[in-house]
Amino acid sequence: MRKSLLVAALLLIAGSLGLAQVKIGINLELSGRFAAIGNQTLNGIKVANLQTPEVLGQQVELVICDNETSREGSIACAQRFVNEGVVGVLGAISSSMSIPAAEVLQDAGIIMISTSSTNPQTTQIGDFIFRMAYTDDFQGKLAAAYVVKDLDAKRIAVFRQIDDDYSYGLAGFFDETAKKLGAKTLIQDFVANTVDFTAQLNNIRSFKPDAIYYSGFCAEGAPFMKQLREQGFAQQVIGADASDDPQCPEGAGAAFDGYIFTGFATPNLIADPEAKKRAEAFKAKYFEVLKDAQPGDFNGFVLAGADSYNVLVAAIKAAGTTDVKAVRDALANMEHYPGVSGDITYKGTDGTPKDRTIGFYKYEVKSASDWKKIELFGKSTAEVQ
Amino acid sequence: MTASKLASRSTLFTLATGLVLVALVGWRVASLGDYTFARIVQDFLNALTLGSLYALIALGYTMVYGIIRLINFAHGEIFMLGSYFAFYAMTLTPMHWGLALLVTVLLGGTVLLVLRSLFNLEEPRRTAALALLIFAGTFFLLAFRNMGWIEALLLSMLATGVAGVLLEAIAYRPLRGAPRESMLITAIAASFFLQNMGQLLFGPRVQGFNAETILNRPLNFTIGEETVYYTGILIVVPTVTAVLLFVLNLFVTRTRLGKAMRATAQDAEVAQMMGVNVNQVIALTFFIGSILAAAAGVMYAIRFGQIHPLMGLIPGIKAFTAAVIGGIGSLPGAVLGGLLLGFIEIYVVSLFPTLSAYKDVFAFVLLILILLFRPSGLVGEDLTEKV
Repeated sequence: MRKSLLVAALLLIAGSLGLAQVKIGINLELSGRFAAIGNQTLNGIKVANLQTPEVLGQQVELVICDNETSREGSIACAQRFVNEGVVGVLGAISSSMSIPAAEVLQDAGIIMISTSSTNPQTTQIGDFIFRMAYTDDFQGKLAAAYVVKDLDAKRIAVFRQIDDDYSYGLAGFFDETAKKLGAKTLIQDFVANTVDFTAQLNNIRSFKPDAIYYSGFCAEGAPFMKQLREQGFAQQVIGADASDDPQCPEGAGAAFDGYIFTGFATPNLIADPEAKKRAEAFKAKYFEVLKDAQPGDFNGFVLAGADSYNVLVAAIKAAGTTDVKAVRDALANMEHYPGVSGDITYKGTDGTPKDRTIGFYKYEVKSASDWKKIELFGKSTAEVQ
Repeated sequence: MTASKLASRSTLFTLATGLVLVALVGWRVASLGDYTFARIVQDFLNALTLGSLYALIALGYTMVYGIIRLINFAHGEIFMLGSYFAFYAMTLTPMHWGLALLVTVLLGGTVLLVLRSLFNLEEPRRTAALALLIFAGTFFLLAFRNMGWIEALLLSMLATGVAGVLLEAIAYRPLRGAPRESMLITAIAASFFLQNMGQLLFGPRVQGFNAETILNRPLNFTIGEETVYYTGILIVVPTVTAVLLFVLNLFVTRTRLGKAMRATAQDAEVAQMMGVNVNQVIALTFFIGSILAAAAGVMYAIRFGQIHPLMGLIPGIKAFTAAVIGGIGSLPGAVLGGLLLGFIEIYVVSLFPTLSAYKDVFAFVLLILILLFRPSGLVGEDLTEKV
């Protein structure tokens, strides 16, 4: 009796001193294959946290967990957050790490906002799972239309990482649309950590492709592009948002020159002028806070990270409580939230924002240390629907 | 059953398996249609390079196993260290002379201490000469040269060799005489430790290893109307592997230290009684094994153009597989196993494109078959005899 009184008294004191905190879990790929994107996303979240450090008069505490780019690590992070009792979890980046974490968090009734998982399955796991990205059916369709119509490619070789949910799914959507538009395709498979692509490249030699689509990540993409050029293929290569990673040009240097890819929109490509202004302001803030950040480190992943934090805090504010169920309802009913990555509406969707912009980019690479990303154009998913 | 009968039976078995394989490959080549001669040559060159790389890593693996029966799981991480040392040697030089002096003293001092303990340098004059050579050479390379890949390779081999000796002294020597499982677990721990230390020290990001060397220069030729693409490294890696195998074999069979090594491998206790300094021999084994790993690491980095702290994991497993397939403990076996693995990986993808994601499965199925039917490996000797 005495003990519990003491605890209650201590709690009261703690509460009055303002020590009450809202805990938000962060499950990201901070080391391993996707380390670069993971740390960019984390920086986005951190800057957003600096801008809005409090909600409902309580300090927001970020609990960071590195999943080491592994499914097991992602599940372990999710379980840790279940035990710690967080309101919501931000991350993971990739679909392969997001899906297993989403299953754990859905069962425990904790909100999860994947910052950049694009596989359609992720948000279909349950009503507590949201994302900040578009889905791969759009990305694949847009890329295929671009390659077949704009680049006028009739024969396309498709490289997919068969043991990754994102890469495999995206290659499927691309392949489907490209065939529908009358192109011939040849799919080649590889697995995570593949470094030798010479046999696959030899396989596409007699197919004589006009263009090559690569749906994988940079850890494999860098050796892939290096060998592709060494083996005498000069064709245009098109990649996806996983290529929006400095590890690509830094890993393979000039082999990435001219490489085109789709990805999360940067401020310049966002059509809505209001949203663009917010994105620009956020970019300025980002470089003000992170003084030694490289220009190449700011991309759509940073914006997606920031907005996943912003919408969760906004939902807590709208709910007026940190009760997870109430916050989830607020999030699911969110309409036209003015995010730095564009307008965010979850009402009436499966947890995927209604309108997202997909950017088309091109790498201009002189060497591993001298490269830039050219913005070509942006396409809104609402237009495609 | 007599031994000769058994032998003829296994020869027959091998022959039959070979025939079936040849028939299968022939049928695939015929049914693929567009699999031209130029493509066959291209695949062959690619497989030879990949296989030689595996062989180079497997050589170090198998040496350590041969001497102390330890599956050194940290070998892949030593390989990673080798490529990072070369990377920094190439990107950070020429450095400021003060920094160069500091690095020279630290690195040169460690190298000298380790070399002294490895090769019994007692005579003061020779030691002083060696010290002068090491210190002056390192300082010159660090402070005044923008190192090319050959200098970086040599420096990295030396530094990595020393790192291997330190690893042995810190992690494995205190467990000498402990059950073999303890050593094995320590090796796994050492591997994790080095991976995480690498992430901390070198950063978790992938780094481009862009050596504009003769090794990357295209040396294409044409067969008929088709071009076969290859670069300098496709010649260098198999050559280096062959030369190293030859030199190592010579070292192990013809020199006093090599004799001491073989004696230690057969029975460490008796060797010690006969006056062999077992600790020294084991340290030397790690030194040579790590030098080989560094050479492989640099070749691998040049071939694939990138390095990262976890890069040693998969090649380490592949090299282990290669060593076991060839017969762990046997030097030619490691090379044979590595080549076989390289050829399987390439030809599975070319002949059965739909199964290309499962190329590792083929390699590991072969490993299981070998363990079932020839547990001592393709060229390994009887289990009772150690080498």
